[in-house]
Amino acid sequence: MTQVQPLLAVQEALKQCFPVVEEQQGLWQSALGDCQPLLLSLSNLAEQLQAAENLRFEDVPPLRAFPDLKERLRRKQLLAGDVVLDKLQERLTALLKVRDTVSSHVERVLQVYERHADTVGIDGVLQASVVSPSVADMLEWLQDIERHYRNSYLKRKYLLSSIQWGDPASIQALPKAWDRISEDEHQDFVRDTLLNVSFFLAE
Amino acid sequence: MAPDSGLFPEEPLLKVLPLDAKDRGTQRCRLGPAALRALGAHLGSAVRISLPDGGSCLCTAWLRRDGADGFVQLDPQCASPGAAVGASGFRGNLRLSSLRLVSCPSLRHLTVWPVLREGAGAPGASNPAAVLEAAQELLRNRPVSRGHVVTAPPGAPGPVAALHVVSGAPSPDPAGLVTPRTRIGLSGVPPSKVEPRPQVPLGGLSEAADSLRELLLLPLRYPRTLAALRLAVPRGVLLAGPPGVGKTQLVQAVVREAGAELLAVSAPALQGARPGETEENVRQVFQRARELASRRPTLLFLDEVDALCPRRGGPHRAPESRVVAQVLTLLDGIGGDREVVVVASTNRPDTLDPALRRPGRFDREVVIGTPTLQQREAILQVITSKMPVSGQVDLSLLAEMTVGYVGADLTALCREAALHALLHSKKNQDNPTIDEADFLEAFKKIQPSSFRSVIGLMDIKPVGWEQIGGLEDVKLKLKQSIEWPLKFPREFVRMGLTQPKGVLLYGPPGCAKTTLVRALATSCRCSFVSVSGADLFSPFVGDSEKVLSQVFRQARANTPAIVFLDEIDSILGSRSISKTECNVPERVLSVLLNELDGVGLKTIERRGSKSDQRELQEVFNRNVMIVAATNRPDVLDDALLRPGRLDKIIYIPPPDEKGRLSILKVYTKNMPMGPDVSLENLAAETSFFSGADLGNLCKEAALLALQENGLEATTVKQEHFLKSLQTIKPSLSHEDLTLYENLFQKQGFSNLGDI
Repeated sequence: MTQVQPLLAVQEALKQCFPVVEEQQGLWQSALGDCQPLLLSLSNLAEQLQAAENLRFEDVPPLRAFPDLKERLRRKQLLAGDVVLDKLQERLTALLKVRDTVSSHVERVLQVYERHADTVGIDGVLQASVVSPSVADMLEWLQDIERHYRNSYLKRKYLLSSIQWGDPASIQALPKAWDRISEDEHQDFVRDTLLNVSFFLAE
Repeated sequence: MAPDSGLFPEEPLLKVLPLDAKDRGTQRCRLGPAALRALGAHLGSAVRISLPDGGSCLCTAWLRRDGADGFVQLDPQCASPGAAVGASGFRGNLRLSSLRLVSCPSLRHLTVWPVLREGAGAPGASNPAAVLEAAQELLRNRPVSRGHVVTAPPGAPGPVAALHVVSGAPSPDPAGLVTPRTRIGLSGVPPSKVEPRPQVPLGGLSEAADSLRELLLLPLRYPRTLAALRLAVPRGVLLAGPPGVGKTQLVQAVVREAGAELLAVSAPALQGARPGETEENVRQVFQRARELASRRPTLLFLDEVDALCPRRGGPHRAPESRVVAQVLTLLDGIGGDREVVVVASTNRPDTLDPALRRPGRFDREVVIGTPTLQQREAILQVITSKMPVSGQVDLSLLAEMTVGYVGADLTALCREAALHALLHSKKNQDNPTIDEADFLEAFKKIQPSSFRSVIGLMDIKPVGWEQIGGLEDVKLKLKQSIEWPLKFPREFVRMGLTQPKGVLLYGPPGCAKTTLVRALATSCRCSFVSVSGADLFSPFVGDSEKVLSQVFRQARANTPAIVFLDEIDSILGSRSISKTECNVPERVLSVLLNELDGVGLKTIERRGSKSDQRELQEVFNRNVMIVAATNRPDVLDDALLRPGRLDKIIYIPPPDEKGRLSILKVYTKNMPMGPDVSLENLAAETSFFSGADLGNLCKEAALLALQENGLEATTVKQEHFLKSLQTIKPSLSHEDLTLYENLFQKQGFSNLGDI
């Protein structure tokens, strides 16, 4: 009977953690959803930039009248690009916040487990029933979820930091690269895990 | 490890399974519940695993999803430097005792040395802040151990490829946990190499090694001088030589010595299935070499380059020509500021595209031939230096015996000898020494590899000189002209003699010409190649000539060698006698004349060093000696018989009375003779009998004895000999002998001998 008490404590911690993850997952998805149009507009800007670059203004009679048109246009486009980038940066900060929140919660659960690990024993963490997965599985899922957020954030951050206005072609490919990050990682992974524990949470 | 595995049968063995894709980069070590219980670990405990190859890695213990025992899957993300690569492909069993639970305190401080990703694609590679951030991300919540390397998973972004854990507080030995509160510092200096890589010993290749070393080190040591001279340093070397002489090993040794980076690529491995794939692979390899070269001198080694760059042109070779063109442009484009030295090796330099072999691409060609006597001795010394060889083993004798052996063969020979010593020595199993007998046993098993594909290589049944009756002066002449120069080169040089190129044995049939050659091959321990018409003639035009020249090329690679042409009159035509069109035998003749006394050798056949003080000993081993036998010397071409080609012409006479007696003695050695048999009388009565006839006579007599006395006959009597003498006619006739005699008199050869 001594084993039951600590095991319940760990399960309690898990029960508190998963709802947080669920909530944060919603925030994460919405932040990602916001990014998509921003990236598209960035890619459009890059296309415009490239078009302006290729055009020889002095060859086009109607445009010849405006002085410094090329430079002004470029400045305007870059300014617009910076605005978009700032907005993207905001979304990225939101993602970072999600990541940190999940991390701290997961860490707390693992700490609870470690405190009780010796009393719970291996058999305890292996106990599983129809409605509740084993503690070992759930801990593993939590760890995987945390790493998923971490990797995903890191990849997006490096992608955005690689933006250079000198290379419009790579900016045009940005939406595709962004999508590819989502495709590469198992996208529904967090949702699947949450479904797995739904009975356990409802108990 | 292996011997004592039987001592702990109760200790469970864990089978190592490949890692699940999902677990890659998690540093998890998945075990069954029983193993976790035995270790006393709970989920997430740090476990240190000693790998069978001497390395170790640090993992966190987790349960297997299926809860099965007896298996282990591990992600070697934090492992000792050598093991980091090997463990992912590691299969086999681990014992439970090689897993150890280690305490894992939180670290306050950790110092790491980052290995950055190559290539311009990595963002912020030069920015220390970015590197630090990446390191923090990579290390977060991981247990680490001092001296280990944490590698970034292959798909992960960021500028860091790996982190060497240098030090920390508290010291992460055996392990320490990195938490978000751990301060991480970057170390500027790489950790000292834990284990210096073992030196690759190099025997007998010093000249080639010098040439390579110069190429690698010259631009490193004297960059300003070279810049001032406006010299473009040669950057390409082609190594040519037969398989197994140590081309690859030479490159490795030189690279290690110079501290350069080696990028070794086997050319066949670059071949792709789809069109264009090969070219892309080639481009990638050169790109990678360039990236490496931006940090330190780099040597790109293309092994077996003939597979990549065959001769262009000809139908159906468009894909290959594209690859060749790609290599050519890359070799050219790599010029200018490049630091990459490209070394290619091949054993068929003639099949390479000629455009490759010009300065600017492969500037130098180093030919490494089959090792000579001295080189073999050096190689043997290197190989045996670490083996417990007993003092009686004479390496120079061994080197003398191993004609035609290349480095790989010598290594195989020594390994075989060591194995023999291990398996067959009864006395001290713990401390075996290898002695002469082991080497001789191994010698029987290991054939020189360069000699395996030789045309006409003969396994000779050993025949001693004493097994041939009579012909004493012929034997002496043969020894003088063939055996002595091979065995006593110093004396020949002292007397200013040059070695005869070839010897022609002629005489009536059945007079032991072939047996004499066999005895010769037995006594002088050199490569012996016998060529007959069956080897040479083929229905294709030009094939016979090619085969003959190949025979000589291979024989030259294995000098000292004897090429024996039996019944040479049937192989070669004579230009001086038949006045018809130039047909195959005549063309073969012309090849032979060229091989015997040509202008020089092909460059790829070079062996040893050119400017060698010890040339004295080697000079007589340079050449191949040709021994021809015929019983129709009159139809041979005059050009063949002039000095410088077949310059020693030896007449083998039919046996005289004394000779016949000794031949009879040889043949009847194993026969039970009656007391009345007088071999002297028989010898006197058998004039015009050749050696073969005498053999036949003895056989007939013995058969007659069996026939008369039934199967229980015990002795052969004189009457049997006399009876069989009546039926057997001598194969020689007076006319034949006068023909040989006239030939001799006309040409003024040595004595015909008395009959």
